[in-house]
Amino acid sequence: MNILIKIIFGILSFLFTEITARPISYPGGWTVMLMNNNYKNSIHTHYSLSSKTSVGYRFEYFRENEYSLNALQINRLLKRWNEPNSQANLYIKAAIGNANSHKKKFNEKSSLAGFLGFSGDWESQRYFVSYDNRYNEAGEIDSFYQQSLRFGIAPYIGDYGDLHTWLMVKLEHIPEAHQNFSLTPHIRIFKGFHLLEVGANLKRKVMLNYIYRY
Amino acid sequence: MKKLLIKIFTLIVLFNLSYSIGNTKVIYAYVNGLVCDFCARSLEKNFEKEKSVKSITIDLQQKLLTIVLKKDKKLEDSKIIKLVNDAGYDVKEIKYEK
Repeated sequence: MNILIKIIFGILSFLFTEITARPISYPGGWTVMLMNNNYKNSIHTHYSLSSKTSVGYRFEYFRENEYSLNALQINRLLKRWNEPNSQANLYIKAAIGNANSHKKKFNEKSSLAGFLGFSGDWESQRYFVSYDNRYNEAGEIDSFYQQSLRFGIAPYIGDYGDLHTWLMVKLEHIPEAHQNFSLTPHIRIFKGFHLLEVGANLKRKVMLNYIYRY
Repeated sequence: MKKLLIKIFTLIVLFNLSYSIGNTKVIYAYVNGLVCDFCARSLEKNFEKEKSVKSITIDLQQKLLTIVLKKDKKLEDSKIIKLVNDAGYDVKEIKYEK
């Protein structure tokens, strides 16, 4: 089972890197996100109970420390600013579940685990900026902090239904990781309910993200 | 007789067409925060559940949501505001087709 998980997420780790998308959609809406960065791979699917709250399931595999997390996650909109030509959001995200170590030194140990984090974004039709942080706790297995900052600019302004394009750059910081800073220029395109991101970080790690909302 | 039948048929069609147009109401809602196509899909999802709504169109440049109602159907301002709020936006102004 552990080998299967490693194979699946090994493939995903090559293909996908972390996606920053709204953690809440419309009431009754589902979102599926595949995520990966330099140290973990994850899948998060959530259901929006309202425009302010979503609940979902998260699976993560931390490659460096070789453990997986299965958790229930809740996302809550703390504040939204709707302006005539821009929108800004502030969210809190929390999860609780179980961590399973696949490392020999932990002897296949299990532990209560979870995380707490905040994220914020501001965007107009031309510019985008977001910040995300999270403190992770998995008992004796692991505990660490992570944060990321993303900037984007739209080379043209599309209307509803058009193919939209964003040129973006993401800076990630994970103090405990081997490569604690990572800069990833990428392109984001979306049309309808489909969103795709393609890029590579300065270590030439390929990034390919996909989000679908339904 | 044949010409008479054609005239009657034409009149019936024209009457129905004008009645249909006359009873199809269009509402314009100007929306704050409407900047992202991917996120604005929530408006489409919310309004398509509403039985009185025939169709909607979204203009990101003007931040305008155009709601076409089904024949003889109504949609209260309070309902429009709720549907827009549920999608994550705020209504700035609502106007009706004259």
